[in-house]
Amino acid sequence: MRDYIIRRILGMIPLILIVMIVSFGIFSLVPNPFAALTENPRIKRADVERLKHAWGFDLPWHLRFFRWFGGVVRGDWGPSLLFPGSTAREVIGRALPITMRVMGLEFLLALIIALPIGILSAVKQYSITDYIVTVISFFGMSMPTFWFGLLMMMFFSVLLKRPSGMPLLPAGGLMTPGLEDAPFFVKFGDRLQYLVMPVAVLAFNSIGGWTRYMRTSMLEVIRQDYIRTARAKGVPERFVINRHALRNALIPIVTLVALSAPIVVGGAAITETIFTIPGMGSLIIQAQIKADYPTAMIALMLSSILVIVFNLVADIVYAWIDPRIKYS
Amino acid sequence: MENREVLVDVKNLRTFFYTEDGVVPAVDGIDLTIHRGEVVGLVGESGCGKSVASLSIMRLIANPPGKILSGEIFFHGEDLLKKSDEEMRLIRGDKISMIFQEPMTSLNPVFTIGDQISEAITLHQKIDAAEAKKRTIEMLRLVGIPEPERRFSQYPHEMSGGMRQRVMIAMALSSNPELLISDEATTALDVTIQAQILDLMRGLQKKLGMAILIITHNLAVVAEMAEFIAIAYSGKIVENASAREIFKTPRHPYTHGLLQSIPRFTERKTTEPLPAIEGMVPSPYHMPKGCSFNPRCPFATERCREEAPELEELSPGHLVRCYHPIEY
Ligand SMILES: Nc1ncnc2c1ncn2[C@@H]1O[C@H](COP(=O)(O)OP(=O)(O)O)[C@@H](O)[C@H]1O
Ligand SMILES: [Mg+2]
Repeated sequence: MRDYIIRRILGMIPLILIVMIVSFGIFSLVPNPFAALTENPRIKRADVERLKHAWGFDLPWHLRFFRWFGGVVRGDWGPSLLFPGSTAREVIGRALPITMRVMGLEFLLALIIALPIGILSAVKQYSITDYIVTVISFFGMSMPTFWFGLLMMMFFSVLLKRPSGMPLLPAGGLMTPGLEDAPFFVKFGDRLQYLVMPVAVLAFNSIGGWTRYMRTSMLEVIRQDYIRTARAKGVPERFVINRHALRNALIPIVTLVALSAPIVVGGAAITETIFTIPGMGSLIIQAQIKADYPTAMIALMLSSILVIVFNLVADIVYAWIDPRIKYS
Repeated sequence: MENREVLVDVKNLRTFFYTEDGVVPAVDGIDLTIHRGEVVGLVGESGCGKSVASLSIMRLIANPPGKILSGEIFFHGEDLLKKSDEEMRLIRGDKISMIFQEPMTSLNPVFTIGDQISEAITLHQKIDAAEAKKRTIEMLRLVGIPEPERRFSQYPHEMSGGMRQRVMIAMALSSNPELLISDEATTALDVTIQAQILDLMRGLQKKLGMAILIITHNLAVVAEMAEFIAIAYSGKIVENASAREIFKTPRHPYTHGLLQSIPRFTERKTTEPLPAIEGMVPSPYHMPKGCSFNPRCPFATERCREEAPELEELSPGHLVRCYHPIEY
């Protein structure tokens, strides 16, 4: 198992290289990345030329790639055009943890809710519970995140108010200004209320799909012969489900959850924009709109690596629950 | 023969399935008596309700779509159909065990075979894990699995079909059941392996003394093992007698036909085709009026097409469901 993990991690290296080439390529193929600057009468031509030189745009593209590549590896990601005075690394260093927190919470929440409900729905197939779960899941799957986000905002930030007149939940941002020196738990609670809506919006979407898949997978497993064997030897029904069936039913779910990582990253971009969260999603969008190519390249690369890492974790979990997977 | 203690007494069992296409009277009059330590064969063409009957005894018919409509299943004089789910669970795998047709799919792929047998043991006996492991290895050795210590931690996919069926037998016998139900346990195996498994079951029956209900569509299988044979046709027992009488003086035309279709190397020239019973098994959705065998029966009369015969004791211990039993 340990060798298998090491081998899989080493196997990621070529993939990451390809991701880097593609990330670089997409932004290098832009015909004139400095168009916005040259058109701006307030920027001197000499400055643009200096920038071009600093960025290696006076070099052929392959040399530029090696320069960029070396920089990325060394951790020198170049200056941020979006936030003058900051490096791309600082900008991303601020945004990445925020996105990871939102996504981590959403994954956790969605799994904790979707898996048990999917199981329940399968065990009680065609019951009232099953029908209600089915309807809600389809809502979750088909409702666009931006629309559901705005709907929630309307309810919890506009319609519902606290006695003090403040909205029940803050409509956007990360924390209430002026609480920087508050005790830990006050700060913690404050940040939490900012996370409720974005996490809920993202999670609802995942829960819809995952519940359905968990239900389908469970239904498939509980009509297998080995489940009948478990019952025939007197295993109590709850262990038949939670021990004998669950482990088998989870095998396809692992892949599914991993494959949904890119969707979650994409959904996070929209959600962050709606709730004005300064995370990676909104950073990528802004960097692209404002032609901050250094930041955009790195951000795209990191998002892709995130997806690769997800797949790796999925493969390891997969091998762990299914003994039929050969490590060699 | 006189002091035979009745272990199982099934009386007029009826189990139907309610499907979208209609009602399936899978079992519609099964009567069966099994004495302590006896081997009884239940024989009939596939689809005649053998599996449904045995799963009814185990109370493993899923409801919906199945339902045990009426009848009694006495085990040690107590009606299993009146027991609570929990009481029944404690009997399954302890006093009554079952093995199935499909050794390839009857074991849970994600647990080691050692785990699966130990689980059956600890469910019904108050012993600790180390003790259970010792007993598991003992059982593996008993069913003729070489290197039981190594096999203990193997997964089902690492074993052949014959070995897996041995594992199933070890699991079924681990709690010293009084009744072992073997539902076509050798049907899916190669002929040589089939013979080995039958030998094993016969040997274990002599050694451990449990009763066996051996279910098969193949009369040759029960010919060597069973002392008593019940013949089923479209959900009903049509003849029930000692193996000797079934083979020497079959009274029901269907039993007679079945015996005619067994190849005999000595009596027949190989060029002559085997006589088969004319016609086809009736569809469970369109049962014929009267005796369900009447469309295929050479002796059928007007009466057979109008009313259904009851199971009657024509001579001591020889029960037949027919208006025109064959006379000798
Ligand atoms: N779960 C089920 N739903 C509907 N019909 C069933 C179900 N299980 C068995 N049957 C029907 O019951 C009849 C008897 O089946 P079975 O007992 O499996 O036959 P066999 O004698 O080959 O073991 C068949 O017609 C089969 O189609
Ligand atoms: Mg069957």
